[in-house]
Amino acid sequence: MAIIETHGLTKRFGELTAVDDLSLKMEKGEVLGFLGPNGAGKTTTIRMLAGIIAPTSGYAVVAGLRPDREPERLHEVVGLLTESPGLYDRLSARRNLEYFAEFYSGIEVSTQVEKYLRLMGLWERREDRVGTFSKGMKQRLALARALLHKPQVLFLDEPTAGLDPEAAREVRDMIKKLSLEGRTIFLSTHNLAEAELLCHHIAVIRTRLLALDTPEDLRQRLFSRQVIVQLETLESSIVEAVEKLPFVQTLHRDENQLLVELADPERNRPELVKSIVEAGGRVMEVSEKRHSLEEAYLTLVQEEEKLDS
Amino acid sequence: MTRRRIRNILRKEWEVMFSDLNSVLFITLLPLLIVGQAILLIWLVVQFGGEGILANPMLQTAMEKLRAALPSLAGLPVGEQFQVLLLSQFNFYLLLIPMMTAISFATFSIVDEKLSRSLEALLATPVRTWELLLGKALSGALPALLITWLCAGVFLLGTVGLGWGHLLDLVLTPSWFICLFLLTPVVAVLSFMLGIIGSSRARDAKSAQNIVVVIVLPVLALIGVQVTGLVWFTPLLTLALALGIGMADIFVLRVATRLFQRESIVVRWH
Repeated sequence: MAIIETHGLTKRFGELTAVDDLSLKMEKGEVLGFLGPNGAGKTTTIRMLAGIIAPTSGYAVVAGLRPDREPERLHEVVGLLTESPGLYDRLSARRNLEYFAEFYSGIEVSTQVEKYLRLMGLWERREDRVGTFSKGMKQRLALARALLHKPQVLFLDEPTAGLDPEAAREVRDMIKKLSLEGRTIFLSTHNLAEAELLCHHIAVIRTRLLALDTPEDLRQRLFSRQVIVQLETLESSIVEAVEKLPFVQTLHRDENQLLVELADPERNRPELVKSIVEAGGRVMEVSEKRHSLEEAYLTLVQEEEKLDS
Repeated sequence: MTRRRIRNILRKEWEVMFSDLNSVLFITLLPLLIVGQAILLIWLVVQFGGEGILANPMLQTAMEKLRAALPSLAGLPVGEQFQVLLLSQFNFYLLLIPMMTAISFATFSIVDEKLSRSLEALLATPVRTWELLLGKALSGALPALLITWLCAGVFLLGTVGLGWGHLLDLVLTPSWFICLFLLTPVVAVLSFMLGIIGSSRARDAKSAQNIVVVIVLPVLALIGVQVTGLVWFTPLLTLALALGIGMADIFVLRVATRLFQRESIVVRWH
């Protein structure tokens, strides 16, 4: 069952189109990575889905509610981690959480505040002013704030941006944990490794949606599968033998390595190895070349840029 | 729920406001300085001005209007009549206090939210924008009223302390009470709303205060109008003035509410 659906969601600010005709679906318990360059419309999309700004046209349904029509009801069931933590530096960590928690109905404020301060490892610093916290601590506190009311859907806007590697890992671990708990997470990020690590599906946006798929399917859709054969020495007779094989589509030679694109990698791979061995080759290793999500992302965005220009 | 949310906003606003020493001094010390300065000025004029000042035709007109409004004034020596004229200006002078306090609260509150970028997170909670605006308005208006009334008390004590207590019957007219209990709240609300409007475009509290400080000028004009004898604010006229500002409150509240919509805050408040 889709917990987030958008139908032709569009947002214009005067002449500028920030988000154009965005239609997507997201299942309950899924983590969706929302990728795109700066100014691609990621934050605007999150703001529309979280009921903070209204679309110019199209609509969204989040947790069964229309964000543009029932924002207050929606806010009871979604949590938002904004791009910057947005905390009150002059208040303590505890008071920051209490203040936000008091706006929700049906939650035991002190219990929830204690639970999330402990979960985020901030209980010992609960009475300290947030102004004295590191970036990572502030981000964890902001994440705690987004979780206080046990939201069904969590929108995370660049949760690890500007954090040092250790703090970023802490936040990523927390997101992983929340995902394992079955929360639906809409994750906007620039960090492709992070998206690959955490997300079930990836959406690439550049004002309009360029792709929506699993990371694996996205790679396969954009790149053909290639087999890497590492040999002890690579003779030209071996290259000639491989070139003659009918299922070989492309062939690249790189020192003692052959990079071969096959028509059907699973079926053709044993035949390929056999031919190399018969041609006198000594095979050291056979592997499949994996394109990174970054390559897939850059390919999509660059293709779109070419189309634009 | 609404009451709980507004209580919550009030508590947080005051916690943040009173955690900043500059703000505390601004809203406590400055009003007391205004009162002290007013008492000192009146004392200096009475001590060293002499009755020669009354030869000024402008003041003579004002005195005539005062005598017309307060017939019992005629039995007092001219010097004391002049003292009553000066003390009667204080009710308008007092309006500077709710005005400055409310502007200070509004600009501090909104600019602080803007600088900490907390408004977007706040708007993602179930709080309604009008609840947020009302909570913030009360957080500024209530201290503004309290400090104004406290300053009025200090002024009265100062007047008695300087041996002018016998003149208070003539100073504490219905106009004085209308000014204190009707005009002060509407001026506080107006100032707060203008503070919100000014803050929505300002990058820091000081520039926000600069934008809205021009509203002090009409209040100073009120004092000028009365002390020069142009218009004497009778109870009816003071009441009309309060109603007029009340109407302006409604208009400004609408503008502020429109500016305080989620989309405006997130997209345009930079």
